[in-house]
Amino acid sequence: MSTKGTRTHMGLKARSRISNTVIYVLLVIMSVVWLIPFIFIVLQSFRIESTWQVGYILPQKWGFDNYLALWNTDFKQWYLNTFIIALAVAVLQTIIVLCMSYTLSRFRFKMRGPLMRFMLILGMFPGMLTMIILYRVLKDLGLTQANAVPGLILVYIASSGMGYYVSKGFFDTIPKSLDEAARVDGATRLQVLTKVILPLAKPIVIYTILTAFMAPWGDFVFARYVSFGTSAGMNVAVGMYSWLQQDMISQRYTMFCAGGVIVAIPVTILFMCLQKYYVEGVTGGAVKG
Amino acid sequence: MASVKLTGVKKIYDNKVVAVHDFDLEIKDKEFVVFVGPSGCGKSTTLRMIAGLEEISEGTVEIDDVVVNDLQPKDRNIAMVFQNYALYPHMTVYDNIAFSLRLQKLPEDQIYERVTNAAEILGITEYLMRKPRALSGGQRQRVAIGRAMVRDSKVFLMDEPLSNLDAKLRNQMRAEIILLRQKLDTTFIYVTHDQTEAMTLGDRIVIMKDGYIMQVGSPTEVFEKPANLFVAEFIGAPKMNIIKTEVTEEGGRYFVHPFGVKIEVDGEKGELLREKGIKNRKVLLGVRPEHIVLAKDGGIPVTLEVNEMMGSELHLHVYTEDQTRLIVRVPTIDLEKEERENLVGGHRLGITFEGKVMHFFDPETEKNLIF
Repeated sequence: MSTKGTRTHMGLKARSRISNTVIYVLLVIMSVVWLIPFIFIVLQSFRIESTWQVGYILPQKWGFDNYLALWNTDFKQWYLNTFIIALAVAVLQTIIVLCMSYTLSRFRFKMRGPLMRFMLILGMFPGMLTMIILYRVLKDLGLTQANAVPGLILVYIASSGMGYYVSKGFFDTIPKSLDEAARVDGATRLQVLTKVILPLAKPIVIYTILTAFMAPWGDFVFARYVSFGTSAGMNVAVGMYSWLQQDMISQRYTMFCAGGVIVAIPVTILFMCLQKYYVEGVTGGAVKG
Repeated sequence: MASVKLTGVKKIYDNKVVAVHDFDLEIKDKEFVVFVGPSGCGKSTTLRMIAGLEEISEGTVEIDDVVVNDLQPKDRNIAMVFQNYALYPHMTVYDNIAFSLRLQKLPEDQIYERVTNAAEILGITEYLMRKPRALSGGQRQRVAIGRAMVRDSKVFLMDEPLSNLDAKLRNQMRAEIILLRQKLDTTFIYVTHDQTEAMTLGDRIVIMKDGYIMQVGSPTEVFEKPANLFVAEFIGAPKMNIIKTEVTEEGGRYFVHPFGVKIEVDGEKGELLREKGIKNRKVLLGVRPEHIVLAKDGGIPVTLEVNEMMGSELHLHVYTEDQTRLIVRVPTIDLEKEERENLVGGHRLGITFEGKVMHFFDPETEKNLIF
């Protein structure tokens, strides 16, 4: 009896070991495939024997020349533009989204339901549809080309209230009696939000900041449209795209790769520090909401 | 310390449901008033309107002669304890209790003094640095009470504060609330669905049903002189037995005829029937289970269905010949061992009661006929 039992046990163990091995091999292959472009870009950014594309992957001569050369171009300006836009959008959009979510979660007012449905439907239309009219409006306001930075900030935060779903779902899971207790304790609505709700909703706050920062950081279409060929108003994506034009690419290809690495750094750091909260934020609203 | 006055207070929700109808009540300074009633009777809604957490649709609420209808909860100078404690989970017990004081921007040393003082009274000093999730239900409730205590507010509101606790702890906390009340010496408004809590805590009890006040009175009043059938059945456990019968008068003496047995209504109750001119009419006769006794011989013949042994007393569920179900409370000590052993399902016995324990209600209006 006992031998048979042990054998069955061993069989199970071996079987799970085999399936685990298969899964891990598959995962490793997938990650390598997924990482190839990134590794490729990093390697190219350190290659200094030629600024043009070559037929091999590993550089023959290594160095920081491409990175140093970046600072003699408009890259600094583009990077700063992108950073200002992303930071401003992260701050403003987070404030708007959290206030909006709190309001929709806690206040009962006329037209609340229709408003939420309206925003849901409105959100189904792609943002691109509004591009032409937005450009027109921004141009009339003088917020295009050299003034693209404030213009873009305005465009990105304008519709941010509609992104309330995830955080509203999270707020809904926080008992209302906490708000009521705080209000009886002497807190204003704003104090309830800042002293009671937000500390309890940390994952969702971080999730909101991250997504708000990421969207403008990597945006290309709107940024290109609004800056419209004026270098001073470009973000990194648009600016660096100009290096890929036929007349530039032979001198700027490896610099383009170096720029790409620098662009990826802040986002990577942000994600590595906050990924725990990010996952909680993404799943938290869904499961509890 | 303050008086609270509600005049014609009404709560109508958006879907036109009326939760509270014309609520009139004056609560005196330092009085302990309990709102009691089954769920959905509007007691919590009324309390929340006093707290400012619920809008008042009609009427006025005054605290210390100031109409507070349009004041935010924070400006009403009230403290409230919630059913689910509503402790801030991210703060320590100390911070929870200190929260309102910090909002008032009191100096930290004063806050420290008040918080430690409250913690000492409630016996939670050793938990001050813990988070609420590391506390038991009873400890959490104490923190919630502490949070309300430190504020020196005019009115102390409690919304079913004990209903999340187990029975034993509830008894203990009930006694503590009585002590707390003596220490704080302020106006209390307490909401519960538990009539025992209402009876033991309240100076006055407000019994509510479907948004209406059924009766306001001291525990003794509502127990001895219930204004209507609802109050009679709601207050007291097990609930009052109701028997359809009629009152007759024969030569100045009054009789009732429950299940064909003639019982005289003597003493004070008989006098009251005479005063009110109630005779030769149908009534609903109310008799509390503890007022029914087992007849040595005769009495109303009943059959025992279930015998619940409660320790110091037995709850006998019996039914009469016409299948009316009644409950009889018999102190265990009154019964011989042999008698006790006989009390099993199917056993036939006789019951009776005296005139002085009877209550009379109108079968139509359900109002008490003699009070």
